[in-house]
Amino acid sequence: MQIQARRAMRSESPDVQPVSTAPAQQAIGSSISVRSVVKKYGAFVAADRVSLEIEPGEFVTLLGPSGSGKTTLLNLLAGFQNIDGGDILVDGRPIQHVPTHRRGFGMVFQSYALFPNMTVAQNVGFPLRMARMDRAMTDRRVAETLEMMRLSEHAQKLPSQMSGGQQQRVAIARAIVMRPKVVLMDEPLSALDRRLRESIQIELRELHQTIGSTILFVTHDQSEALTMSDRIAVMDAGHIVQVDRPVEIYRRPQSRFVASFVGESNLIDAEVIQRKGKVLTLRTPGGHVFEAASRDGVHGKRATVLVRPERIRIHDQPTPHSMPATVISALFLGEVLRIEVRLDDGQTLLIRCSDTSEITLPQVGQKLQIGWGAADGWVLS
Amino acid sequence: MTDATPTAAPLPARTALAQRLKNPALLLVPAVVFLALIYVFPLIDLFRVSMSGPTWSTYFERVFSVPLYWESLLRTMQIAFTVACLCVLLGYPTALLIHRTRGLTQILIATAVILPYFIAILIRTYAWMVLLGRNGPINKLLQMLGLIDTPIGLLFNRGSVLLGMTAVLLPLMVLTIYASVSRLDQGLTRAALASGAGPLAVFWRVLLPLTLPGIGAGFLLVFVAGIGFFITPTLLGGPGDQMFAMHITQQADSITGEGFLQALAVVLLVITLIVVGIAGRIMGFEFIWGGGKMDAGARSRAAARKPAARARRRGPGMVIADLLGWPILRIMGRLPAGWGRWTVRGMGGFVVATLVIPIIVVMIISFSKASYLTFPPPDWSMRWYEKFFSDSNWMTAFWNSLAIACLSAVISVSLGATAAMGIVRSDIRYKSALMLLLVSPMIVPPVVLGLSLYSLFLNVGLTGTYLGLAAAHAIGGIPIVVVIVAASLQAVDRRLEQGAAVHGASPLTVFRTVTLPAIAPGLGAAIFFAFLHSFDELVLSLFLSSPRMKTLPLMLWADINYQLNPVLAVVSTLEVLLVVGGIILARPVLARGRAA
Repeated sequence: MQIQARRAMRSESPDVQPVSTAPAQQAIGSSISVRSVVKKYGAFVAADRVSLEIEPGEFVTLLGPSGSGKTTLLNLLAGFQNIDGGDILVDGRPIQHVPTHRRGFGMVFQSYALFPNMTVAQNVGFPLRMARMDRAMTDRRVAETLEMMRLSEHAQKLPSQMSGGQQQRVAIARAIVMRPKVVLMDEPLSALDRRLRESIQIELRELHQTIGSTILFVTHDQSEALTMSDRIAVMDAGHIVQVDRPVEIYRRPQSRFVASFVGESNLIDAEVIQRKGKVLTLRTPGGHVFEAASRDGVHGKRATVLVRPERIRIHDQPTPHSMPATVISALFLGEVLRIEVRLDDGQTLLIRCSDTSEITLPQVGQKLQIGWGAADGWVLS
Repeated sequence: MTDATPTAAPLPARTALAQRLKNPALLLVPAVVFLALIYVFPLIDLFRVSMSGPTWSTYFERVFSVPLYWESLLRTMQIAFTVACLCVLLGYPTALLIHRTRGLTQILIATAVILPYFIAILIRTYAWMVLLGRNGPINKLLQMLGLIDTPIGLLFNRGSVLLGMTAVLLPLMVLTIYASVSRLDQGLTRAALASGAGPLAVFWRVLLPLTLPGIGAGFLLVFVAGIGFFITPTLLGGPGDQMFAMHITQQADSITGEGFLQALAVVLLVITLIVVGIAGRIMGFEFIWGGGKMDAGARSRAAARKPAARARRRGPGMVIADLLGWPILRIMGRLPAGWGRWTVRGMGGFVVATLVIPIIVVMIISFSKASYLTFPPPDWSMRWYEKFFSDSNWMTAFWNSLAIACLSAVISVSLGATAAMGIVRSDIRYKSALMLLLVSPMIVPPVVLGLSLYSLFLNVGLTGTYLGLAAAHAIGGIPIVVVIVAASLQAVDRRLEQGAAVHGASPLTVFRTVTLPAIAPGLGAAIFFAFLHSFDELVLSLFLSSPRMKTLPLMLWADINYQLNPVLAVVSTLEVLLVVGGIILARPVLARGRAA
């Protein structure tokens, strides 16, 4: 509904568009290709031959632990640092020799970086002033953007007079006021509390639909990445280890690192005893047999299997693929129960199940039968 | 966007040159060239001349074989050491007092310390001469109390030298210690108290170890300044209190011959450098400018290396300190609880009194009607102000000083501010070494500097010219500017600049809209202090001025040595007003500096 209204507003003011360097239609974002980019700080390699192709208008998240090189990549894109090797192309043109202020991007910083000596309106109008847009047009565009971010009544305030969430919105408004083809976001939500963060996540997602820019978003928060992105690029130690849609990243990670970094995971080392197409039958060191799915071309006698905690079921009776386990902790978290169990070979597993009327919180030391189906296990290559 | 036209690929050579010209490290060039020409080169020449005897060591052998010089050297070290100890003893409680008091009291105490810090040493020494003089307030007070019948000679002995030097150098000590005290996390004291430590244990186990670097820095700065001291011991000392720097100026007056004079200066310089070098090895050369490390890259490496080394180095010292100091403190702990607080207050109060009373006495005397120095003044008048403003010699000297100081401030700020920009913003190697070069004039004894410039100025014909004196004063002005501006620049949020750049501001616009407003207060303070440095400068001017070219400090110096009259008090009062005005203008910066 809101989006509809905003779109209507945009189309009602077509005279605004010619001053923008971007065309008026949806999906005005640029394509970005990062090709074998290298960045070194002395002996430390912050980005090691990183490659990434981003489609026009895509919302791509760089996800990784701190020090994995995601902010470095963003800084290289913004032009705050020079690359030591490789190419970055925007719409097919290399940009490494274009100075930051000519790249025409929008950017939201973790610390917001609002100019403390300027009002909200002046902050938001800054990019327009730099582009030497005329006064009337600037005012109009600022008002429009403030309205869009629901900040109109704060236009004359100074950043210091606003709350963190409001400052964040001003920072976003400043980044999108030019309708840039590319918006870079460097952990913009990490300073906000959870509730606010979740509401701005949804807002950002809607905003992306409205303005159609290509957004490159950096975060170390995996749930944020899963919620917002078209695709996620997981980074580790200067490399991109997997690029995929959120669902794929979560369900079919390609490595132990991705499996354990994104979401909670049980990783079970087991011996492969039978291979039937994409379904493998495996045996734990304790002798229990279970099934798991894999991609094509997984070979080897041993495999690591990912089972998400919410995929493990608790049975009343032993079944062919169930195994006995002892409860070592059981917590009630509201909508879910979080149960930790130990198999008789010593491995501990985490189980999450929804709080339903038929499940009671087990006691520590209690014996359970647990199991999962072939589709619930995923063999890591 | 569409204007993001990539032009670089076909023109790599030109781009490379353009890129190199944009390197902020180039901003260092003017200041480094300037200092090389007028500071490093003359010092090297000083070494050369000092070794130009029959053998390279001829003159040095004479320095160390003639008892006059050898003993004077020992005496100088001894006096400087005593002064440094006295300063720590009195300065630490004062720093604590500033830290612990609040509101108006804090402002008053802080002002009492900061104000003298910026008043010329010459004027503060003169104030002590007034205070301790035969007709001075102390003699009068003692007579009034009936303790003495006739005025006693309080001046021109070792005691007055120590007192004067301690008073002059105390603000430096207090401010250095305060910098480390104020950085302490208040939570640490509370955590120690909550863990069951009494006030004394908090002091011994937490406060003292954490502020030890500040104490060390203060001690060394005072000691190094003390070694090269010239003005105060000359005016307050007797024949038996000759300090090393005084020999150099005296020898300069009675041309003993090239070489030996330079050898004296080289000895003084080398001792200073050794002390600073050892101190720098132990606690890093940052103690000179009291700032953080300039080398962000080196920080992580040094941090990785240092703690282990430090822990080892401190080991035995801490054990001994624990064996001796802690039991003493325990015994003191038996004293009533209020004593500690009152000791701090008492000593702090004493320090504030010693710093402020001389200035106040001088200000009062400037309104005296008597034609000689006596306190309290028998009657009031403005006659000495009239004399000052109508005397063409004083007025010429005043305008000379003003012109030189303005010129010197322009040189210092234009070179110093660009150099600070280069130091903070470039990522060249040897940043710390460059910073050290830029601030090193702070620790070179002015007497040595003056002597080294003496022959250069004669040869080039700069002696007694505005430009020559302004340039010489800028040697000391640049470090002040670099330190202040570099600190302001480091406080600028890089993200703000990036935020402006990414949204379309060119580098120049970024500087104008973001950087400049942020460093403007620091820049203002730098201009003022560079001006003040030149306005107050005496020792270099003694060497580099001509008889026709008198500056205000030179006039004061001549008059103090010739006759102590109240015109000097007038000049001093005007200087105090100038400094007060400057501090009020610079207050926002000082407040921010202390908060940081």
